[in-house]
Amino acid sequence: MKRARNVVAAATTVTLALALSACASGDTPADDSGETAAEEAPAGDIRVWLVGSDTPEEAREHLKTTFEAENEGSTLTIEEQSWTGLVDKYTTALSGSDSPDLVEIGNTQAPAFTSAGAFLDLTDSYEELGGDDLLPGFVESGSFEGQFYAAPYYSGARVGIYSTEITGDVEVPATWDEYLANIETLASDEVSGLYTPGKDWRNGMVFVWANGGDIATVDDSGTWTGGFSSPESITGLEQLQDVMLNSNHAPADSDETDPQVPFCAGEIGYLTAPSWVRWSIAAAEDAEVPGCLETYGAEDKLSAFAIPGAEEGTYAPVLAGGSNIAIPTNAPNPELARSALEIILSDDYQEILAANGLVPAKVSQAEFMADDAFSQASAAAAAAAQLTPASPLWADVEASGVLEDSFVKLAQGEDVATVAAELDAEIEGTLNG
Amino acid sequence: MTTTPAAPKAPPEAFVRPPQELRTKKSSPFPYALLTPALAVLAVLVAWPILKLLVTSFQEYGRAQAFGAPPEWVGLDNYVEVLTSGEFYAVLARSVGFMVVAVVLTMTLGTLVALLMIRLGKAMRMLVTVGLLLAWAMPALSTVMVWGWMFDTRYGVVNYLLTQVTGSDWAGHSWLIEPLSFFLVLGLIVVWMGVPFIAFTMYAGLTQVPVETLEASQLDGANARQRFFQIQVPFVRSIIIVLIVLSVIWDLRVFAQVYALQGIGGLYEKTSTLGVWIYQKGTASGDFGFAAAAAVVMVFIMLLISLYYVRQTLKEDD
Amino acid sequence: MAASTLTAGPTAPAAPVVVTTKRPVPPGRIAANVLFGVLGAVVFVCSAFPVYWMVSSSFLPTNLVRATVPTFFPGSDFTVDNYVRAVTDDTRADFLPALQTSLTVTFLTLVAALVIAFLASVAIGRYRFRGRKQFIVAILVVQMIPGEAMLLTYFQLIDGWGMLNMVFGLTILYVAMVLPFTVWTLRGFVTAVPVELEEAAMIDGCSRTRAFWKVTFPLLAPGLVSTGVFAFIQAWNEFVLALVIMSRPESMTLPVWLRTFQQATKATDYGALMAGSVLVAIPVIVFFLFVQGRMTGGLVSGAVKG
Repeated sequence: MKRARNVVAAATTVTLALALSACASGDTPADDSGETAAEEAPAGDIRVWLVGSDTPEEAREHLKTTFEAENEGSTLTIEEQSWTGLVDKYTTALSGSDSPDLVEIGNTQAPAFTSAGAFLDLTDSYEELGGDDLLPGFVESGSFEGQFYAAPYYSGARVGIYSTEITGDVEVPATWDEYLANIETLASDEVSGLYTPGKDWRNGMVFVWANGGDIATVDDSGTWTGGFSSPESITGLEQLQDVMLNSNHAPADSDETDPQVPFCAGEIGYLTAPSWVRWSIAAAEDAEVPGCLETYGAEDKLSAFAIPGAEEGTYAPVLAGGSNIAIPTNAPNPELARSALEIILSDDYQEILAANGLVPAKVSQAEFMADDAFSQASAAAAAAAQLTPASPLWADVEASGVLEDSFVKLAQGEDVATVAAELDAEIEGTLNG
Repeated sequence: MTTTPAAPKAPPEAFVRPPQELRTKKSSPFPYALLTPALAVLAVLVAWPILKLLVTSFQEYGRAQAFGAPPEWVGLDNYVEVLTSGEFYAVLARSVGFMVVAVVLTMTLGTLVALLMIRLGKAMRMLVTVGLLLAWAMPALSTVMVWGWMFDTRYGVVNYLLTQVTGSDWAGHSWLIEPLSFFLVLGLIVVWMGVPFIAFTMYAGLTQVPVETLEASQLDGANARQRFFQIQVPFVRSIIIVLIVLSVIWDLRVFAQVYALQGIGGLYEKTSTLGVWIYQKGTASGDFGFAAAAAVVMVFIMLLISLYYVRQTLKEDD
Repeated sequence: MAASTLTAGPTAPAAPVVVTTKRPVPPGRIAANVLFGVLGAVVFVCSAFPVYWMVSSSFLPTNLVRATVPTFFPGSDFTVDNYVRAVTDDTRADFLPALQTSLTVTFLTLVAALVIAFLASVAIGRYRFRGRKQFIVAILVVQMIPGEAMLLTYFQLIDGWGMLNMVFGLTILYVAMVLPFTVWTLRGFVTAVPVELEEAAMIDGCSRTRAFWKVTFPLLAPGLVSTGVFAFIQAWNEFVLALVIMSRPESMTLPVWLRTFQQATKATDYGALMAGSVLVAIPVIVFFLFVQGRMTGGLVSGAVKG
């Protein structure tokens, strides 16, 4: 990011001057410079695409009212998108003339678009938006060739969720080995010690990383080498396969959606999931999507921990989940979108996200995280979280479904080394173009 | 083969022969006028995209190009990549195998249902019609959802019923994870969705067979099978051929069902058919050049498969 | 009876359709009718059960929808909550605009495709002209091209005309999508109508146009209905193009609306999904029932006899 910041330094003066002139005389007719015309930010209706239901209702409301108060005559509409097929949809929708003004995108998906020129260059707003206070890993996933395109939106890390109704007096694990031992202890004919649906490679990755393995590494010439076949990764995958086969009842071909159903049936010892899954579990029994507030999800029973690392006091690297947010190149109202983006990164907005268990976009905003077990675990896990390989082609690896396929094979008991070798070959094939 | 009752008024061959001497004026602009709207639509919305597809198949065309970067010419690289990847042949074999089974089943069942409908009384025919209409009217997406859910590993009604009927425990049996049983479920869905169309079209065709002809042959002692093969089949021959050709094309191109079913369960790598594979390579993974080349190759293969029919059509015309 | 050669393997249950006694005598005929009745019932159950399962689930409370022991009949647990949620949930796009979009697009597609295809099929089914052969081969080949490979081109084309998120933009794509098939099928029907009938009418003093409309056109009715139904269902069910072209929530079509019930990170509300599916299927069923009556009515058989 060094280069980006140099550019920022150079650009700041210009931006500042423009911003000042815009403030001083909002009514001044635009001069010939297109950029200045844009700074005028004429009133308009902007469309914001948020993905899935992760952004709480309160935050949406805040964004809309604040934006409309700050930009008189303009309106903001939030259009919810689905995570399923998101890359496919953005590939077309953002390239056309009817593009939205501001879009959320998964942090692992962002590079596919920053590298394609799909987003507006925000390098000159880097400092304004938070600068070095922005979550570093997410700044990285939102940058390409030294330019900054997609700001961090929020982060979320997977935590171990359990109900004392099931775990009883089994202590919260302090080390990775204890964690594995507990999983075995908790497993029974009815209960999955650790809930590991076959397709959930995102959960599976912690086994690889906790043992020192990696997804893929890149050498100086830019050539990627798959890391699943390394001895460390194999150890991790073997541990995972052992859990899948011997301490787990989740079907090998299922994915991580709806974990509250088996959880509320009392069939789960540990569940690794983003912390906001607690709200699905702690939903009322007669809710639209029922949870089990009265039983396993009761406030005094439901709790969480950050998955421990090899040494006591350390944490195992989990997959950093979360989103970036960016302005598409074809956005009809880029200046208004910038104003909305600033609101999103503001303390007020991020405080709402933090209260809902999400890790805020700026490091300093972590203080807004609540003081309960879930938020503490989230913060600890987020600090140790790992990213997927920083390649614009990584989104294609995910989109191909090869990771799901490979982890399903593990869940079916296929040979770990063979599966790992095949997976490495696939990943290398994609990342090396 | 006791009789081949000549249909007195309209011998079957008459219905399938090419356009007759009636309109011989070759220079008449009238047929062209009739064709103009169709040609206009096809030229703009079919011919142009196809041209674009061909061009793209010779280019390095990724997501950046979709966002405006100029594409780079790579000659035959995409084709070489498609034809040298083992994946392509696996996908191809899988698609063709599935297509053959699905077409045979759909055609046979559809024809039998059409014949059944002719035989049934009014009330029962209405009932069958309603059943088929319901199956046909189901939105493709929800069809897959319902079937996928009936075959659900944990809560599926199929596993429940099998457990009740067979006595052994089917709970937790995964139908979609084994490629073969994935295709069993997929086949059920595709055939279930396909039979109504075949049945209705065959029924519409078969009801056009002159009743007198059938009655005459029955009086001459022809049994049902003879009547079917000697009168009804020749009468609707052109419809049958069209249906087969179209079923071949559709079942080879099957997309939505595979796509949605993979979302419910199943290994992408072992269950992708051509359409889904091309979609994954193109829109999902952003390698449009590769996807275009794969699509072109796929069309060639379909042409090979239907070459016989295309030649027949051309011959018929001379 | 060699009927089994036709019905090899798993299709055996329906085989007796073509197996009848040679000389129908009353007892045999009754037995055959009973057999056909039973087979009809089997066909009905096989076709209708998944639909029943969808409808039945749509009336169940959520906790019974996903339960280890399935509920086969809602009974006293009957509830319309799923429908209320499916239509009113404001985190999703509205149902009514989607219904309106779908109805409009489908209706326009149906009408345009039938008119255009009818003209074209008469041209190639009744006339000989230069380029006819090429046209026939072309509309066949065109159907072999996987549309999934051309999504981006379609998008760029419609975008270039400024018709993204517009009913008209999607409609013309749908017309192009169903046209090759409709022309192709109608041509089969046109060729199957004996020209002799028309000639006879002309001898009786009809003009050619009049003979066509009086004699040939009624005979094409089942073909028109058949292809029309196809165009209808294709346009009604299509979702990949709709997803790409209609990216705004207010211009969604029903299949895309239905897809919003499934969110990767959110528990799927199966009850509401099934209720939504029922709502999407109802217009098609209504249309079909209406059309089917005409298809099986006296029109066709009467015309053939005449």
